[in-house]
Amino acid sequence: MCYWCEQYGGGHERWYFNPANYARRLYKVRREEAEASGAEANPQAAGGMGVVGREFMEARARRDFETVDRMSREAEQRAWQVHFGQVVTKEELDRIVDMIYPIGLMTCACRRSMRGLPDEENFTCMGMGPGMYKWERWPETYRGGMNFVTPEEAKDVLGVLNRRGLVHTVFTFGTPYLAGICNCDYPDCGALRNVIDLEVRVVWKGHHVAEIDSELCNGCGLCIKRCQFGALSFSPSTLKAYIDPFKCYGCGLCRNPCKPEAIGMVERARLPAVAGVW
Amino acid sequence: MLPTIKVDDSKCGVALDCRLCLLACPTRVLGLGTNVGPKKYQETNPSRFIVRGVRYQLCTACGKCEEVCPHGAIEIVLDQGVSA
Repeated sequence: MCYWCEQYGGGHERWYFNPANYARRLYKVRREEAEASGAEANPQAAGGMGVVGREFMEARARRDFETVDRMSREAEQRAWQVHFGQVVTKEELDRIVDMIYPIGLMTCACRRSMRGLPDEENFTCMGMGPGMYKWERWPETYRGGMNFVTPEEAKDVLGVLNRRGLVHTVFTFGTPYLAGICNCDYPDCGALRNVIDLEVRVVWKGHHVAEIDSELCNGCGLCIKRCQFGALSFSPSTLKAYIDPFKCYGCGLCRNPCKPEAIGMVERARLPAVAGVW
Repeated sequence: MLPTIKVDDSKCGVALDCRLCLLACPTRVLGLGTNVGPKKYQETNPSRFIVRGVRYQLCTACGKCEEVCPHGAIEIVLDQGVSA
């Protein structure tokens, strides 16, 4: 079972369906976001989620896996306490935005850090809950301003971002307080960079795994470029798409372009060997 | 070999507006940040924005960022201190 559901599920199907994890009383508990260690004189590398520094990179380069392991675990523990994410499907998000209020569309800190994107091109991030009312106090954090949206508008926006191929994740701000809906992609998401480049798990896999019905798959291959995690490939011997369930994050983006609707999402918990792979 | 990316902030212009190096980097190694944390009721002065080599796990030392910088503010150094 998912550790976060165990800890903070409160009897709900998932921890992010538990309204208590969005509650105002948790907002104040929010810990000082520790200056991302090793961010090398770049306090806002937090925007790029620089959770490990030079020492880690050097250990990795000299294949000192013991040090790498220790430092990843430390970085993960720090992130899990304060600010980390979990992949969710669009359907799950639609349930979340019906539950929590207010919802604000804002600029993405990662894409600003990675590309220096002008604010007007950068509205791909969502904040939710009581903290959003105070956005004007922190103009730099909410650079570009805040557009409050209704749940229906939020679903529409998320639909557009989904079609663009962005992976939906929910993020904590002082775990288990959930206040962010990030719409991420490799290589421009700092969190995914840590996960994919460095195997520092600041984003957890979701509660689903994609599965292909090879009877239905017509081998068009459109799904493959939707995957941010390298879980999908094209099998030249069967002329069909192939999913590695151990690499799959369960975002469900691969389903959209599939004309024959050959891709379905199965619950991670239903596959005993993958159930503990987060 | 792990490169070190040195940025001379005194030479770098207004990084937030320029961002040429960020766009030139093929593997998104560079990060744009500020040298002050966010302040209450204050927008950060654009001059406080700085560029750093944050994700150098994928730096190939190709030198594109050095080339594109109009102010010569970026230098890539390899481990033995040899400039790439």
